[in-house]
Amino acid sequence: MSGALTAPAARGGTGRGGRLLRQAARHRVGLTLAVLALFPFVAPYEALAVNILVLGLYALGFNLLFGYTGLLSFGHAAFLGAGAYGTGIAIVHGGLHPLPAIAAGVVLATVIAAVMGFLAIRTRGIYFAMTTLALSMCVYYAFYQMEPLTGGENGLRGINVPALNLGLVSLPLIDPLVKYYVILVFVGTAVWLFSRLLASPFGAVLEAIRENENRARACGYDVARTKLVAFVISGAVCGLAGALNAIHLSIVPIETMHYAMSGEAVMMALLGGMRTFFGPFVGAATFLVLQDGLATLTSHWQLFTGAIFIAFVLFLPSGIWGEVVARLKRAGS
Amino acid sequence: MADETGRSGAFSRRGLLQGGALALAAPALMRRAWAQGAGPIRIGFPVPLTGAFGAEANDQVRAAQIAVKEFNAAGGLDGRMAELLVRDDKLNPGEAATRTLELIEKDKVNFLVGALSAAVTLSVNNVARERGVLYNSISQSDAINEAKDFGRTTFHEALNPHMTAGAVGRYVFPKHGKRVAFLTADYAYGHEMVRGFRRAGEALGIEVVADIRHPIGASDYSAFLPRLAALKPDVLCLCNFGRDQVVSIQQATEFGLKRTTKLVAPVLLFTARKAGGDAFEGVVGGTSYYWRLEDSVPTAKAFNDAFRAAYNGAVPSDYGALGYAGVRSVLESVKAAKSTDTDKVIAAMEALRADFYKGPQYFRACDHQSVQSVLIVESKHKDQKGPDDVFTIVGTEQPDEARLRTCAELGHKA
Repeated sequence: MSGALTAPAARGGTGRGGRLLRQAARHRVGLTLAVLALFPFVAPYEALAVNILVLGLYALGFNLLFGYTGLLSFGHAAFLGAGAYGTGIAIVHGGLHPLPAIAAGVVLATVIAAVMGFLAIRTRGIYFAMTTLALSMCVYYAFYQMEPLTGGENGLRGINVPALNLGLVSLPLIDPLVKYYVILVFVGTAVWLFSRLLASPFGAVLEAIRENENRARACGYDVARTKLVAFVISGAVCGLAGALNAIHLSIVPIETMHYAMSGEAVMMALLGGMRTFFGPFVGAATFLVLQDGLATLTSHWQLFTGAIFIAFVLFLPSGIWGEVVARLKRAGS
Repeated sequence: MADETGRSGAFSRRGLLQGGALALAAPALMRRAWAQGAGPIRIGFPVPLTGAFGAEANDQVRAAQIAVKEFNAAGGLDGRMAELLVRDDKLNPGEAATRTLELIEKDKVNFLVGALSAAVTLSVNNVARERGVLYNSISQSDAINEAKDFGRTTFHEALNPHMTAGAVGRYVFPKHGKRVAFLTADYAYGHEMVRGFRRAGEALGIEVVADIRHPIGASDYSAFLPRLAALKPDVLCLCNFGRDQVVSIQQATEFGLKRTTKLVAPVLLFTARKAGGDAFEGVVGGTSYYWRLEDSVPTAKAFNDAFRAAYNGAVPSDYGALGYAGVRSVLESVKAAKSTDTDKVIAAMEALRADFYKGPQYFRACDHQSVQSVLIVESKHKDQKGPDDVFTIVGTEQPDEARLRTCAELGHKA
């Protein structure tokens, strides 16, 4: 997948490579979507492709805080889960149409992110990570105990959306390829908004905070408020990922909210490249395809994914996509 | 860049739309073409090969392979062979849903059998019923019988907590005493077990002296044991599973609780007993199958012999046997229906009167629960003859629909 993007630039030689890279950076949303649109034909199977799409969006939302603002959160599973449960409950118990149900999921995730962010943003470094972890576990147990609504340990079942009725047309989501492209529309919109956000002055302030918080404060920026806004937006994006996941799988397992899921976001962002826009999707694709392929081959797949992950951290600390971009830049200069 | 946009502008929009619609419809058309073909009969088998129940899951696969082998050796369905597609669900309902989608959408399986946890089996069931694929669950769950989760394509080969706990209660309470305490893992499965015991106990007039809940995955039970010891109940029901069960029984034994109280584990697993060792001495519980059933049931003997022959003399475990029965029920119904058509196979399964490995069983009409016997076993200790000789069968509750929750209670229309 990465080959498709890099091949022309790598052949292009010095001057042209640099120009292509600048072009690619300007059209990053278009390029991201072009790759994602072709993806189901390369992925081992459609359900996995949708997983990559959804978890890629999850990692992207997480990366707003991690890669761009420099805050390591260990509680993002709470937002993924809140989005999923919000949507699931709206459909199963409220009988809502999928579109308002997705909105309900995103709103629920945003509200939880606002509360968690308000409490966590006062801390920094390892304390921030621990606070988010602790708060997300509170959310986990709250949902676990609300058995009549969430199904508790058994998970929430019955989020059956065989077709998305849009008034004039009805899209058969039961068909895996249609489902992929419908979800891609949501992911694409989110990616576009996300890109606009990063290109705005607000995005620049985020990076300023990451590079030097004191300097950003001295320049007159309200650091605390900016962090909170970033936290809430990040939570909302992860909530959207959760909402789409609920519709994709037709169930919400309680594991969606478990802190192991928060760890997966960190892993995917690191693997793909936390300082890059497209990195989280590359990370999600690598992580899931690797896990899927290895699990089919051996029951000791965890050992191999662990070893590969260690190798990446040691030898490619900027991540797969980060390394590709860095090489292109070197070739281009 | 500029010519490209020019060209795409000239490209007829209608042509693009028609092409797009065709491209979107193609997979559906292809699938229909495939379904009519006469390839092998494919059975998807998602089980947790990795995770806490890896040993049980591997046994399920080995036993299921025997059912497939027997079907193929007997000539299949007019020469059409069966094959088993095993997938690791990692004991995670989300992974299980993804794998089930893979099995249905990519591998085009005809049927699904499998799972080994209530949450996972419910997730596989939801994905399968939405797509009209027959699924025979081999994991204990009460919820799968209820109208909310049940679908026409849902079958449940395993026992459910209500049956198992009920049978154990009806054996234990008259024999060992009416003052009962519960130590329960605080999740759906534990609660379902308690409900089963209470229902059985009501008729027998038991007195519940304590109902203690512990978090799932607890490693220290010393906070609960003094209270239980002070109450001196006649019977202590440990409504937990897997490692929780092993650890809580070990600690209760060390605490000396066995001097005053009979320990009861509603679902006493062959594999857990082998792992837990001596601490299990005298513990009574229920199970769907134990290999010593071969002493009284001829089909159990035949199944054990086939398993022994295939796997160097090993005997099948309880969950393993369910893997065999789950696949065999489906394949026998395929033979009876002379077709792999889902509707015909459903009808054949509803009509099935089987004795595959443990005596007679059949699927109840309203919820497709397998009505079957429940074995009551007591754990041996010093008189063990070999490592597999771990239980004595002390009682058998014969198959009886009256022991199940009624169809009306489950929300099914009569």
